[in-house]
Amino acid sequence: MKKNKNTTSNVAFIIPVYNEEKVIAGVIKSVLKQFSHVVCIDDGSKDNTSAEIRKTGAYLVEHAINMGQGAALQTGIEFARQLPVDYFVTFDADGQHRLEDVSSMLKEIKTGKYDIILGSRFLGSAVGISKSKVVILKAAIWFSNITTGLRLTDTHNGLRVFNRTVAENMQITMPDMTHASEILEIIAEKKYRYKEIPVTIEYTDYSRGKGQSIINAVNIGFDTLLRKISK
Amino acid sequence: MIIIIQIAVIIMALTLLLSTLVGRQTHAARAWKKIALCLLACAMVVAVLFPDITNQLAHLVGVGRGADLLLYVLVLAFIAYALNSYIHQQREKDVLYRLARKVALLEANEQYNIK
Repeated sequence: MKKNKNTTSNVAFIIPVYNEEKVIAGVIKSVLKQFSHVVCIDDGSKDNTSAEIRKTGAYLVEHAINMGQGAALQTGIEFARQLPVDYFVTFDADGQHRLEDVSSMLKEIKTGKYDIILGSRFLGSAVGISKSKVVILKAAIWFSNITTGLRLTDTHNGLRVFNRTVAENMQITMPDMTHASEILEIIAEKKYRYKEIPVTIEYTDYSRGKGQSIINAVNIGFDTLLRKISK
Repeated sequence: MIIIIQIAVIIMALTLLLSTLVGRQTHAARAWKKIALCLLACAMVVAVLFPDITNQLAHLVGVGRGADLLLYVLVLAFIAYALNSYIHQQREKDVLYRLARKVALLEANEQYNIK
């Protein structure tokens, strides 16, 4: 990888990517301006995503089959563990997260007081979010706080910053979107010190089209409960 | 009286269902599942030969007709089966995904000369 002296080199960005040929190169380029390690996991995209990633200076790890965002994150974390970095950032591929927010989260984790910093769009602002999505997300928060015992204001936010201890021990087993709940369960179980930081999510027409549909909350709830009883 | 029996039967049925899910896949658990399946088959044969038995059994537990009782048992067995195979499928998926991840990581490490 190219070494650029003006970029932060002790942070690895982990970006799961699935069919994002239109935007992924732009997202990676904007991250690479400030950070030198970007790990992209192409989760078996059917379009030109992997070629787009190859054009940039990011690491590319390719899944031969589509396995879901949770599985891609786990692959990315396992790859990034091998890099000489202290902090790990999970970032969405569709450009809805902002680098300013990552900087403030990094500042927070560098104090050493926390193991993991979570982004919350309800402490911050969610630009262009639909009303029905707010209702479902609030219900998800309520459900998650009860099942994990954590006190959070947002549960399915893809923006997270964590240290090496968390990265080394992370073992996500839920391949699909249920992984977000699973990560919270891991935080509760391992008693990681966590903090929520307000972040801004920019819902564009593009990200709205890519985002998970509301009905998927049923699948997430069902899988979470079933995993709890069948453990 | 009937209501108490009905409630008892429902609770028993649900605990049975839950225990098949919660129980680990030990040899014993798998053996019991096979025994239960055989018993179900035997019960079916008996029910065909002596139609009145199911009716009497149904009245005993507060269900209207023998045919209804059979239906309830069948529904319960179906739900247990469906959930069981769903869990099983998730486990197999997990194994497959771990393997695929290993391949992806090996390939990437080779490409970027890591270790």
